[in-house]
Order: sequence, then C-alpha cells, then structure tokens
Amino acid sequence: MGLINKLGIIGVLTAFGLGACVSPPVADVCTGQLPGNLDRAISEVESRLARGCDYHFDSYFASLLAIAAENPDKENPRRFSDHLMNAQADGIISRRQAEALYNRYFNVKFVSFAGDYNTCAQACPVRSKVLTDMRTELTDKELGLVKVSDDASRFYRADNLLQETDLVLEATCRACQAGQPAGEGLAISR
Amino acid sequence: MSTSMKSTLSFVVLLVTAALSSVISVQSQAAATGPVVRLFPTTVLEDIRETGQAAEAMENSLQEVISRLDLQQQLYTESLCEGSDGDQGCDRIAKQLGATYLEMLNIMSEGLPDMERAVDSTRRSLEKRLREELGHRTTPTMLQETLLGETTTSSPASRPALRGKSGVRLSDRFKQYYDLVATHKNGPSRSLAVVAADIYLDMEEASMLIAATQEEISRAALLEQLNQSFSLITPQMSAVVSGVKEILFGESTGEAPIAAPPNAVGETDFVSPLAM
Repeated sequence: MGLINKLGIIGVLTAFGLGACVSPPVADVCTGQLPGNLDRAISEVESRLARGCDYHFDSYFASLLAIAAENPDKENPRRFSDHLMNAQADGIISRRQAEALYNRYFNVKFVSFAGDYNTCAQACPVRSKVLTDMRTELTDKELGLVKVSDDASRFYRADNLLQETDLVLEATCRACQAGQPAGEGLAISR
Repeated sequence: MSTSMKSTLSFVVLLVTAALSSVISVQSQAAATGPVVRLFPTTVLEDIRETGQAAEAMENSLQEVISRLDLQQQLYTESLCEGSDGDQGCDRIAKQLGATYLEMLNIMSEGLPDMERAVDSTRRSLEKRLREELGHRTTPTMLQETLLGETTTSSPASRPALRGKSGVRLSDRFKQYYDLVATHKNGPSRSLAVVAADIYLDMEEASMLIAATQEEISRAALLEQLNQSFSLITPQMSAVVSGVKEILFGESTGEAPIAAPPNAVGETDFVSPLAM
C-alpha cells in the first residue's frame, strides 16, 4: 500500500514535470530570431517586451537597426520613434533614454554635445572627450541616417556640424583660456 | 645661406597660408532660426577693414619690385646663366637680382609691423567676442542650434568656399570677408560663428608667424648682403619671391581649395516628438 502511494506521488510529480516542459521557457520567448521585415520585427519585439523580456531591450534595438539597415527607408525614423515612444509608454525605458536613443541615431544634432551650462565652463575642460564622443556618435548617425533612413544629406549635415563644432570649440576654448586670470589654470589642475 | 633662405620661404609661405585661410569660408544663408550671437560689432569690422588695408599697402609696395625681380630672373634664365661660372655678364645680372631681392626683403620688413598691428588687433577683438558670446553666453546645446540655425538653400556652386589658395589678392580676400560679415552683421549668425573662429585661429597663428618672419627676413637680408660679393642666385630666392607673389597677388596654381561639405538640405517632413 505504501509502495502504491509512493508510486502515485511519483506519477503526479512526473506529470507536473512533463506539463512544465510543454510551455516554452522564458529564455526561448526572448531570444528567437526576429523577422526580416522591420514592421513585423518591431511588433515581435514589442510583443516580447510585453511578455517580460525587458532586459533584452538594448539587443532588440540593435537587432532592429540591423534589420532596418537591410531595408533602408525614409519612413524608418518614424517607425523607430513610434517604437521608442511605445517602450517609454510601457515603462521599459525612460523618456530621457528614448530621446537619447532616437537623437543619437536619427537627429543631426549630437546628444554627446548638449548641456545647460556655458561653453567655457562645461565643454572646454573636457573638449577632447566631447569631440571623441561626438565622433563615436557620428558613426551611429551614419547607421541611423544613411543605412537605415537612406538620408545621406542629413548625415552630411551632422558631419559638417561636427567639423564646425570642432573649429568653433577650439577657438572659443582658446579665447576662454586667454580670459582666465593668471594662475587659475594651476588652481584647477591641483 | 640655403638653410636660412629655406626658413624664410617656409615662414613666408606659412604666413601667407595663415593669412589667406583666414579670409572666407562663405556659406550662403537663408532664414535664421538659431540664437542670435553678436560676433562682429563695428569695432571688429573696423579691425578687419584695417587688416585688409595693411595687406593692400604691402601689395602695392611690393608690386613694382616683384615685377622687376621677374624680369631679372627671366633675363638670367634666358641668358643661360644657370651653372655658368665666371661669366661677367651673368655675375652682373645675379648681383642685380640679389640687390632687388634685398629690396623686396626690406619692403617686407617695413610693411610687416603694420600687418602685425592690424592682425593683432583683429585677433584680440575677436578673442573677446568669442569668449563673451560663444564662451559665456552660449551653452553647448545653443551652440549646436547656432551652427545649425539656418537652412542652406543654394547650390555648392554659388558658395565661394575660399579657404586656402584661391588666386585672389590678399586685400581682396579681406574685402570679401569684410563684405560678408558686414552684410550679415544684423542677420544670420550661423556661419559667422565658424568664420569668426576660423579667422581668430588664423590670426593667432599669423601673429606668431609675422614675428618669426621678421626675424628670418633680417637674417636672410644679412646673408644676402654677404652673398652679393659672390653673385649667387639660389633656388630659395626664387621660391621666396614666388611665395610672396602667391600670397599677395594670388598668382598660384597650387593646391585646390579645401572641399566644401556636401550641400546641406532642409529637414525631412517627419519630426519625431523625441527629437531635440
């Protein structure tokens, strides 16, 4: 009798175990290949995000950019904008993150050169880092504007903006430096 | 002698390049939408005008002596004097050429102080405007808006991108620059920020180069005076003369102007609510 009971319990446990195997694990839901069509890929990504795959957001975004690069279209920025707005509305990313991502890839302006303090105070002390970050961002803009959006003219504007910013910053920062009281530079370096 | 002359040539060419590249990177402009930045008040315009006048004065004073140098050089070459040792006629031409060369150096050394003052004044006034307008009154975000603040509607062909050698007299380039900033002094400020930065950096370099050139001219003049007794014409002498002509009179077949960026176009219709 005791043996029968034990076998029964084992049978029930086995049944539960098999039942668990029937529904796909979360990992599979989140990591399957995305469709090659951008609209369908975005729908699939948003569906997965709704099913708890939030932590894959960054890799999804990169995948969507890669898919979009295979399907360049001037309407693609709108698709990405809508996708980012949806992700923000669902609380997956913040408004600031959504803006930063969109502008990094699809805007002529540089998110890596933004700020509310004056140029002498904010940009000049870290001018070379700012320019390095802008150059990195320009490669993202090349992907977003040229390959994804098929809009080379906007990319050239961004490229031109970077060159002009480099020149204007060099002159402005020299002028800022020349206007500093003697010894101020030493005080900062300490 | 050779090294010294080479140095003189280098300085002169650098000076020229700096001065010329300071002139214009003109971009056609339409409506302004960026923040207003006042980089060219009347005082700065006046400095630019005076720099142009100093350049013009130097051109005028050098024109005659350079023409004479050309003729003497031509005579020397056509008389097959190169490599001829001991020919009295050739020696005489070489001495005349050396004397004219000295005359050119003297004129340059007389004219350079005026250029130096004008350049330094322009540099200092632009430095102040850049610091106040772009350094203290502008944030990085505003600076981007200033640079992008206008939509260029003209074709690249209508844009006289004149950085570097372009076959234009130095004084004419300053006139063009003056006209550019004077025309836009109450209007769009976008490319003026770039022009102001460009001019300022070049003026800063030019100030140093003028001082160095003056030193080199003194040294070259001394050595050429010594050379007069040997009647030598060096390739460097010809090169210096060519450099001066190139700088002041735009007689250059050298490198093409730096390529202008592709023609910018307006924003596409779609504007994301996420856009900056």
